[in-house]
Amino acid sequence: MHDIYNFVSGPLVWVSFIIFFGGSLYRLISMAVLARKKDVFVYEYMSLKFGLRSILHWIIPFGTVKWRKNPLFTIVTFTFHICIIFIPIFLSAHIILWKESWGISWWYISDTAADVLAIVVIASCIFFLVRRIVLPEVKYLTSISDYVILAIVAAPFITGFWTYHQWPGFKVMGIIHIVAGEIMLAAIPFTRLIHMIFFPFTRGYMGSEFGAIRHAKDW
Amino acid sequence: MEKRTLIIYTVITLMGFIFAVMSGYSQEDVINVEDSAFEKKMRPAVPFLHDKHNETAGIDECNTCHHVYEDGKENEYDSSEDQECSECHTINKGDNSMSLVKIYHLQCKGCHQKKKAGPIMCSECHPR
Repeated sequence: MHDIYNFVSGPLVWVSFIIFFGGSLYRLISMAVLARKKDVFVYEYMSLKFGLRSILHWIIPFGTVKWRKNPLFTIVTFTFHICIIFIPIFLSAHIILWKESWGISWWYISDTAADVLAIVVIASCIFFLVRRIVLPEVKYLTSISDYVILAIVAAPFITGFWTYHQWPGFKVMGIIHIVAGEIMLAAIPFTRLIHMIFFPFTRGYMGSEFGAIRHAKDW
Repeated sequence: MEKRTLIIYTVITLMGFIFAVMSGYSQEDVINVEDSAFEKKMRPAVPFLHDKHNETAGIDECNTCHHVYEDGKENEYDSSEDQECSECHTINKGDNSMSLVKIYHLQCKGCHQKKKAGPIMCSECHPR
């Protein structure tokens, strides 16, 4: 167990962070090069003012027509996205590991709060799953990869919750939890989870074209 | 209930009691690793069987764990088992940076990792 734990909590962490940062940078650069080659108007139309205006509307809950039309989806998706960034960064059990390894630490939330938020994330994932299966317009656009991505995102939270509550097999689950987190990080650049990195540009371009060219709102 | 059954049940229960009491005496008391400097505990204190641990780990000297440092150098002839860790490893009031947690973790987990023996994962020491 020592060797496995030390491996997944040591070298594998480095590997996953390098893949995450390196891969994201690679995707950004290659996408920029591709856009330059195939669609030069992206660069022509890109406008900071209209781009930021659009992003601002879309990152505010109920700030767009789409958000207002689907209130339940809006609430779930905002809570979900905030939680999956917030929990891993401000979890006390993660911070003590940073502290031990690198001597750095910051503010953290109570374990009870983290527990509640983890349930929120898991419930949101179930909501997204059911939505994919039940809504015909979503089902039509769903492929196997969507389920895989959902599983990759849900796994660290389910396994973390399991380990924290020390349910049967929690030691093995703790190892799986660490690996699941690393898989998620490494998967971001090479799956549609890349929207985490791309959204300022995709949304920004949409806002620019709508704002500067069509003189219309894209929210 | 038949008289015989009643007697059997009574004997079994009594034996259970005697066994429980005896095993209680023959075993070392579980002590929780505590430090008065921990204002609020994030996780339950770690139950620790001092003698059993040292027997398993082959530790004979008190100062293998209860060390004393003077001017950054370990004093091999002194030990600190009558002190709390926080008496030397002081933390400022309101310091929430887990400094004290870290030194406790390094003392236990750090050694376990070096020796490749003993618990190293959160839940292996902190019970629910």
